[in-house]
Parts: sequence; C-alpha cells; structure tokens
Amino acid sequence: MKISGDAVLHAPIERVWQALRDPAVLVQTIPGCERMDATGPGAYRMTVTAAVGSTKGTYSGTVRVHDGKPPSSFAISASAAGAPGTIGTDVQVRLSEVDGSTLLGYDADATVGGMIGGIGQRMLAGVARRTADEFFAAVDDALTGEPAAVGFAEAPAGRSLTPGGLVAAACAVAGFVVGAVWGRRRG
Amino acid sequence: MTKMFGAPIPRREDRRFLTGGAAFLDDLGHDALAVALVRSPHAHARVVDIDVSGALDVDGLIAIYTYDDLTGALAEPLPLLIPHPALTHGRTAHALARDEVNHVGEPVAMVVAKDRYLAEDAAERIAVTYEPLPAVVGIEAARHADHLVHDDVPGNVAANYTQAYGDVDAAIASAPHRLSLDLAVERSASTPLETRGVLAEWDTESARLRVWSSTQTATGLRAAIAAKLGLDLTNVEVITPDIGGGFGVKIVHPWPEELLVPMAARALGRPVKFTEDRAEHFVAAAHERAQLHHVEVGFDDEGRILGLDVRFWHDHGAYTPYGLIVPIVTSTQLLGPYKPGAYRVEFDSLYTNTVIVTPYRGAGRPQGAFVMERTVDAIARDLGLDRAAVREANFIQPDEMPFDFGLTFQDGRPLRYDSGDYPATLEKLKKLVGWDSFEAVREAARAEGRRVGIGLACYVEGTGVGPYEGGHVLIETSGKVKVATGLTTQGQGHQTVFAQIVADELGVPISDVEVVTGDTRRFPYAVGTFASRAAVMSGSAIALAARNVREKALRVAADALEADTEDLEIVEGVVRVKGNPGAEIALGTVAVLSNPLRYAFDEASQAATQFVVGDPGKPPVADDDEPGLEGRDYYSPPHATFANGMHAVIVETDPDTAEIRILKYAVVHDCGKLINPRIVEGQIHGGVAQGVGGALYERMAYDEDGQLQNASFMDFLMPYVTEVPRGIDIDHLETPSPLNPLGVKGAGEAGVIPSAAVFASAIEDAEGIPITSMPISPSELFELRETATSARTDSRRHSEDQR
Repeated sequence: MKISGDAVLHAPIERVWQALRDPAVLVQTIPGCERMDATGPGAYRMTVTAAVGSTKGTYSGTVRVHDGKPPSSFAISASAAGAPGTIGTDVQVRLSEVDGSTLLGYDADATVGGMIGGIGQRMLAGVARRTADEFFAAVDDALTGEPAAVGFAEAPAGRSLTPGGLVAAACAVAGFVVGAVWGRRRG
Repeated sequence: MTKMFGAPIPRREDRRFLTGGAAFLDDLGHDALAVALVRSPHAHARVVDIDVSGALDVDGLIAIYTYDDLTGALAEPLPLLIPHPALTHGRTAHALARDEVNHVGEPVAMVVAKDRYLAEDAAERIAVTYEPLPAVVGIEAARHADHLVHDDVPGNVAANYTQAYGDVDAAIASAPHRLSLDLAVERSASTPLETRGVLAEWDTESARLRVWSSTQTATGLRAAIAAKLGLDLTNVEVITPDIGGGFGVKIVHPWPEELLVPMAARALGRPVKFTEDRAEHFVAAAHERAQLHHVEVGFDDEGRILGLDVRFWHDHGAYTPYGLIVPIVTSTQLLGPYKPGAYRVEFDSLYTNTVIVTPYRGAGRPQGAFVMERTVDAIARDLGLDRAAVREANFIQPDEMPFDFGLTFQDGRPLRYDSGDYPATLEKLKKLVGWDSFEAVREAARAEGRRVGIGLACYVEGTGVGPYEGGHVLIETSGKVKVATGLTTQGQGHQTVFAQIVADELGVPISDVEVVTGDTRRFPYAVGTFASRAAVMSGSAIALAARNVREKALRVAADALEADTEDLEIVEGVVRVKGNPGAEIALGTVAVLSNPLRYAFDEASQAATQFVVGDPGKPPVADDDEPGLEGRDYYSPPHATFANGMHAVIVETDPDTAEIRILKYAVVHDCGKLINPRIVEGQIHGGVAQGVGGALYERMAYDEDGQLQNASFMDFLMPYVTEVPRGIDIDHLETPSPLNPLGVKGAGEAGVIPSAAVFASAIEDAEGIPITSMPISPSELFELRETATSARTDSRRHSEDQR
C-alpha cells in the first residue's frame, strides 16, 4: 500500500528540521508513541498503542533512520508486530522552503499483514492520512506557538525518549508514519 | 405397512417451522461481525472517488472494502454461470463496482462492524463521488439504443437467437387466416420472505472456510467460493440452514456478498455475517418477466395454427450472470401443448440499467404461456369459435408421445415431450370449472347488472432438468436411516417426500428416516434446487441409493438367517423370512453385521454376536465389498420431463370501479406420479397465489432515471389471503414419466405459469376489450374501457360523417 501526502509548516526549514529533533516538541506531537529506545546508530526499538476503527492493539518493533541530508531529506524504515497484525514501511521525507514556510512531503510504502491487513486499503489509508495531518498540525502549532491539540500535551509519565537530534527526528517521523498506518492517537 | 409413496401425509418439517424451531440464516452467528453495503444510488454512473474518512470515527468499525481490496480471481468479473454461443456480449458485474455502476443498488463498498447498526452508520458516512451517465430503462429505450448500458455492447444487445422448424413464412403466407398481435409482460420479482444472507467462519489453524448461505445451491456456491478465493475445494464447506423461500432468486451464485463475506472472514479471522434487508432485496437481488412480443400467426378455418412467428425482446437488466435461460425457456415453452405446423422464434436479450433478470418461479414460461394463449384466444375470436375447441384442435395427441419439436430446450437437450394427455386434461378442466354451462352464468349475472367472464390457459413445463443429482442412504446400527442429497430445500417439504420414498424402498417406518439436504459435508456432488427438479432428480437418486442399501441388507441378512434373499422381506425395519415367523433380524443388527468391528459396545452389537456372517475363508471385508450398510447412487436423465396443466378462472369486473374479483379458480394438473398429493396441492396453492400477484398486482415501477419507485412492501403490491381465491378446485391426472424410476415430474412452478394468460382471457371475456399487457390493475382496466369507448364513439362519428 502506498500513502503519499504533504504538509505546510509555518516556519523556516532549519526550524522545522530542529523541531523534528526536539524531544519537547515530539513529546507533544507524536501520536501513540509509548516508548522508544536507541539500539544502535540510527536504530531504535519502539512501542505504539494504536487503534484502527475498533481494532486496538499494542505494536512493538524497530525503526531505522537513514540517508539523512539535512535539512532537505531523510528516509525511515520500520517494522513492527502486535496482536492485530504486522507492518513494514519505507518512508521518504522531503523538506523544502517556500516563502519562509516549509513544505514537507512524504511517500510511504507499507506492507500490512494479519487481521489489520484485512481491513481494507481505503480505511488504512484514510486513517493514515488523517493521523499524519493531526501530527503535522500539532508540530505546526508547536512551531507557531499555538497551544497543542488536546490530548497531545498530556504525554504519559515515564515515556522514554532518548535525547539527541536525529533520534528525535526519527521518533517523530517514524511515529507519525507507523502511528499513521496503525491508528489514531490513543483514546 | 401402509405405502408411503402417494400418501397425503402432513409435512414432517412443519411442526418445527410452526413452533419457532427453524433456524434461518439470520438465526445463526450471533457473535459474528456484521456487514452493510454501500450501494449505488444511480442507475448508471462512473465511480469517481470513494472517501471513507467520514466513517473512521464510527465506534465499532472493523473494516471497509472497495474494489481495490479485491485480489486474484476475486478482482475479475463475477462468473457468467451459463454461457451460450448466442450470448455474444455477456457481461457480469464485479463483486464491488470497479469504475462504473449499472443499476441502483449495485454494491460499491462493504463495511464490517461490530453490529449491523454500526455498520450502517459507517456505510452512511462513506462519501462516493459519482459522475452520472444516461440511464437506459425499459425495453423500448434499450432497443432504441440512444444510450448504451455497456460502451462495448452495440445496440444494448447481449444475444440474438433464433430457433425454428418448418417454413414459417410460407405457412403463414398461404394460411386462410392471419393475425398479428403485440403483447407485453411487466417486471416482477421472487421476493421470498427470507431475503438473501450469508455467514462465514474461517478456521485459521486448519485453513478451512465454512459458509452458511440462504442459497438454492450449496455445491455450486462452494465451487464458486473456492475458485474465487483461491481455496482448495476440500477446504470449503457450504451449509444451507432452513431457507425461507427462494422462488429462483437464490439460484444465482455467487452473489457478491457470498464472496465478500468469506473474504472478510478470512482476512479478519472472525465470523462475518450479511443479512440482506428488504429494501436491499428490491434493488440488489434479481427480477424477472419483462418482455415485449410481436406475433404473426396463420391458421385454418378450425383454428389450427399453420405457422407461428414470434419475435420478442427480453429485458435482462444490467448483467447476464445467468445467461439466456429465461428467454430460451420462453421461446421453447411458449409452444405449450400445441403443435403449430411451422414455428420460428427470435429474441433479442437486452441490457438496461436495472436489476439483473434471472429465473423467478416459472422462469420465462408465464410470458410464453401468455403469448401463446393470447394468440389462441385471438384466433378463436377471429373465427367465432369456442376457445376450448381451438385449443383442442391444436393439441399434441397422447399417441404422438414422445413428441420431439426439433428444438433445443434450456438444458441444451432436445425439446422432447415424454408423456402427457392434453385432451383428457382439458376435458377434466371443462367439467371442473363448468365451461360448457358458463353462458347461463353470464346471462344470470348480466340480469343482475354484473359483468363476469371466464378464461382458460394451458401450459407444458419442462421439469427435472439434469445433469444429475445423487443420494446417500445409511442405515445406522440403531436402525435409523440417514438420507442425504446435495440439492437444497427452501420450503418444498423434502424432509417429507424423500423420507416417503425411502420408507417404501427400505420397508422402514418413516419416523426412522431423517433427510439432510444442501450440506456439502454430507453430499458434495449436486446441482441445485430450481426448474422443478428436486423430486424428479434427488427423489430418483435417493430411490436408487435406497435400493442399493436394500440389496446389501438382504444379502447380509440372508447370510445371517441362512436363507435365500428371494425369501426375505423387510417390514417395519425388520428383515423377515417370508412365512417363517421368528426367523428375522432387525435392520440395525444387519448394519452391525455389515461392519466387522470386534467390539460390543451397545445392545445392537451384542445382539449381532448371535449371528455369523461372512466366509471364514475370506477376509472379513471381501474384496468387492465395503463395511457398513450404506448406498450411494446418482440419477441423470436423458432430458427434461414435461409436466402439464390447465387453469380456468371466472372473474367479475366491477362496471364502475373496474375492480377485478375472482369467483372461481380451477386447476387440472399432471405432474406424473404424485409422491405426496398434499404437498403438490400446496405447491399449486402457492403458485396460484403468486400467479394472482403476477397477473393483477406485482410490478417493478422504475422511473425513467432507473429509480425503483416501489421498493418496499408498502408500495410493491402482492396478494394477501384476501386476494387469493378462497377455494381452488384441483384435479389431477397422473401420466407417469417414462424417464425416471419413480415416474414423477416436477410440480414446483406449475401453479404460477398460466396465471397472466388465464386472467387476461377471463377479463377480456368479461369486458370485450383486448387485453394485451399484464399485469393489469383496476386503473388500467378503467383506462382501457375509456379508450375503447372513445374509439367506438369516434368510429360511430366517422361513419355518420361519411353518410
């Protein structure tokens, strides 16, 4: 399944790149990311709790961020499994500056298996696009000083985010991609 | 023992049905996920976009499927079940619309949710963008072909087919008298009380699919599901629960939902169920009947038809999954009991942007009977002859049987009548309805200011088409007899009639016989229940299987009793030596002996130890034998067996309101040997009721945009018990079929076939106005009167002007 989309973030490209590396921003904005730990250079283990329609579940897996070309592009590969099914994704992310704002574009190619893979492409893609939109709206709010969307601000205590620029970005982008495919924010 | 074959015993299944013990499709799968379909609101449109985002927040939503989710064979068009060389432009739908919809109700997306309410909520929030296209509605629009239903089907013609014998043009040209008629029959539908439904369970561990469906063919559906879902046939089971009526619509398979629900069950690993609602059934199942006919006929002074030339146009709706069965049945069964000197029939099967047309009880015969009988009545009127006499002059005589027209019937086999006595049938009918004394009745009514009319109509019905059915009969060690056949039951009383056959063949009490139908686990080879074929096909197969079991039972019993098989009889489930009281063995014990197990675990096996069977010098199961007391056999006929019948009706038409009342309805019916006269009469009653509906009430009111205006039981009129004749006078002839071991012919559709014809005949007789289109409502009759009156006035004025 292929999912593509874009978002306009109202800040210059360097600030967007920074924000995507800023744990404080990510804590507020990543949907459903329960936990993320570094396991090596550019490689991480993460846990996401997500729901697609009525199909709820917790997914554990790995994320690898690679081919970073600051501030214009990077790629993410992720795979995870949970009771409702499995997922593998490759995502290309592009950033470009237009009139002081940043245009972010992404192309994700996801393979979804198990029951969650049987719920229908349009429903998966619909959930993914909307989750991505919510994530970028929250990032944009953080960049422009607006209050974060309800729900995102209340990061659960004990969430573990390893600090560090690329890690944060990986968590952010992997979070939205994986979260997008897996489901909306918890609750 | 009382002979069961021919006994009018009550239906054994009715106690269960009448006391709430039945289990229909929707009674199953309480915990299953529920399905709702998003269906096209347009008769003809391109599907531009399907946006599901609005549905995502519906609590309980599990899955949404569109065409893009279909893979492999499932993404291909649905099967064209019955191809035909003349069907040059057959088209079928996709299980979910790909890029175009061709009738209101065509499925576009399927929602799965925790229950039906939530599924409907989600379905309602899916936004489909359509680009509407011009709709082709009705035969005239299809013929004109200003617009096309399918871009690649020129003229909207799927098939053009002609059958003929003799030189019809010469026969008509040289005939002393000639007439031409234009006749029309409207759309109607089966509308069974139980709508369609399917439940599927996927067993992940064994990779097996189990499907329950309200279908008229479990085996056909099983094969279709296996093919479309890429499963091995042995890993698919289809079971029919109790079915609340079919009347033809459920022989279509696979319905989109019958593939999509199993697909979802497999994808989700959970049971999934679809139950069609009534509104859906009107626009998402199937219709029948709509045809326009043009008849040219040439005849002699006695009304004998010398040449009959029929050209007709058949509206088959948006797709052709069931091929040309309906128009072929019309074109062949139109002939009824008559033998025109020469005959030609040509039809076009036309696409329209309406619900598909597939067989509905009668399956093209009501139209054929209407056309033929209207023609015969027109001949009688033209010549001033008695309508019954003209029919008699045209009958095939009993000594001409078997009668081969040289045409091909719907099963691809010769149109060859096997038996029947049409003059005797007519004689009985005339007596039953009081045909010869009706003029006195008419005069008496006229004296009271009342208007009455009498009509009659004949038909011949090809029943029991092949290719085959099978039966399996097993005697358990308890003496209970388990019977299975693969075809399905949707209310016919198979548990009664098949048990009657077996009780007689085996000599067991009917209470010991249990019949299972439509379960592929019990009998995997079968065709289905349609074309009035179950009693003929499965009845015969079960009889043959029972005879095999009887033969083995007698062989084993003869060994045990040290007697000759010739000297044995089976009475009340006990094999006895004739004239030697006490020398006997119960069938259950024979069953034990037939299976050389060495364990005595119940009374039957203990009882068996007193007998010694088998040759001690041979293995316990001989080379050419098998353990157990069971038999399986198949019946495959050379061609259909042709039942026949004649109906007569006396109607009264209100001089002011044009209301049509039925005063008397008489049926003479010949379906060969009767297995259960009570059930046959029930079939006739039901058929007459449905026929009254088809003649006077039921129609599909499509507007010019292809919207069905009467898609509910509020607006789709059907006869209540108040509209069905209170008493139906029935008489039987029993002309056995020489084609099968029981001498039976089918009876399921008979009651409905001549209805439109017989009512048209009676109303025309009462009113003196030609009736050329059915059904007819009081308003339409009123209009006809107005038109006829003004035409008379005009012609009177015209002749006055000339003077």
